[in-house]
Amino acid sequence: MLCTIALMPVEEISPATLIALIVELQIVEATYVLTADADLFAQGMDSLAIMQLLLHVEQRYGIRIPPGEMTRERFATPAVLAAWLSDTASRLSA
Amino acid sequence: MQRVDVIVAGGGSAGVAAALNAARAGARTLLIERQTKLGGAGVNALVHTFCGLFHPDVSRPWAWLNAGVPVEIGEMMLERTGQSAPDLMGRVYVLRQHPALYAQIADELCAAERNLTWMCGVEWSGLERAADGWSVQVVTRGTCVELRCKAVVDTTGDAIGARLLDPALCAQAEAARLYRPAYVCALHQVKGVHDDSWRLALGARIVRGIKEGRLPESALGAAFRDSPFAGEVFITIDLEAGQADWDPLDAVKRARVEVAGRETALRLWHLLRAEHPDFALTPPPELPTQAGIRESARYIGDYVLTGGDLAACRRFDDECALAGWPMEMRENARGPKFRFFDRPEPAGIPAGCLRRSTVPGLFFAGRCLSADHEALASVRVMGTCMATGQAAGKMAVDFAAGC
Repeated sequence: MLCTIALMPVEEISPATLIALIVELQIVEATYVLTADADLFAQGMDSLAIMQLLLHVEQRYGIRIPPGEMTRERFATPAVLAAWLSDTASRLSA
Repeated sequence: MQRVDVIVAGGGSAGVAAALNAARAGARTLLIERQTKLGGAGVNALVHTFCGLFHPDVSRPWAWLNAGVPVEIGEMMLERTGQSAPDLMGRVYVLRQHPALYAQIADELCAAERNLTWMCGVEWSGLERAADGWSVQVVTRGTCVELRCKAVVDTTGDAIGARLLDPALCAQAEAARLYRPAYVCALHQVKGVHDDSWRLALGARIVRGIKEGRLPESALGAAFRDSPFAGEVFITIDLEAGQADWDPLDAVKRARVEVAGRETALRLWHLLRAEHPDFALTPPPELPTQAGIRESARYIGDYVLTGGDLAACRRFDDECALAGWPMEMRENARGPKFRFFDRPEPAGIPAGCLRRSTVPGLFFAGRCLSADHEALASVRVMGTCMATGQAAGKMAVDFAAGC
């Protein structure tokens, strides 16, 4: 029997997909539409919210984020976060 | 049968302030408490921040919001913890407090009042109208005792007086929306500098632990905050508590929450001690006497304070205390959702929220005052409880004096 490892088509990590996830998980108080450059901390994101986000990001994109690389700056905005996650994903799969 | 002027039921932040204010005004005052320490959630549930003590305008230097007992306790706490000012956390001023020192401060303040007696280990078991005021029944270690007083102040947090007298006097939000309980424990001998990045890295380790099955999912509700004393870190774990099935007044569900809190705290400690160098020497956590309950039953008074009143910084002719803490809603274990006041100004809490004219001589303050679900998210905090407590104490004395 031939075993094949099916590579899951991984959704692209973009500011838009992250914003969708943040809204779905109610990570911040999105009283208005979140933009790619919105300040997530000013929108109420705290350490609990980041854990939720991290758990779902790792599950959805199949990546594993090294705890030592977590900094506040990397979670500043959806655009910054998407860039870092994309970089981490390509680095770790390389 | 013991007769006093005022009985204050519940020795938390509201009850201590109420009892002090009543005793200082000359009333013979009895404070009854079911735990063995005064200070309520700030002592028995290890809730380690005084919120609601300060004026909400953080563009200006910090300032006390309500004069009297809140300032007295706040100043003693500042001095004993070696702090010179509260912390500015985002858009609010917060005073980190220490549970052991709060117990000591409450003991000292109460002991200084010769009109004030306090009883511990006492469950409130009955409330009835008597010819000359109120009959209050309590149970202590198998003995039922009847006490008499002219005025009662209910600062139990759970509106126990209403539940004993007439449950129609109180209400409770539906289970799914009740603010979640918090299980707080203290860790000692924690090394390192605990900045945002440290907290985020800790969060990532917790996520890893959950994914690998070494931590329960409830660990996602954990937040870390430094005590004012080096090496001590408090973990606050928001628990889902069965979400739509939660009832803080159901003893079996309450026991489940206590067990879930302990289990989460101990497993977090075990993982961190094994994996994180800053926790390598940390002994097992110091556990609270009980989980912190953010919301249960509260009175329906002459006026029900609303979230809209607070957001609009509404002021009242008969206001007796000021609220300044944002509405900090915690309907799930995924972190708070804040509704800030529309302007950086305090809002008034009217006397009608602490009494009901159809039940003269019964007053209420603290977490069980008359407010809607949204307003409660602001007025339940300890600094505001001290303020409403002292107001209710004064109202009880004035009522007793007129008897």
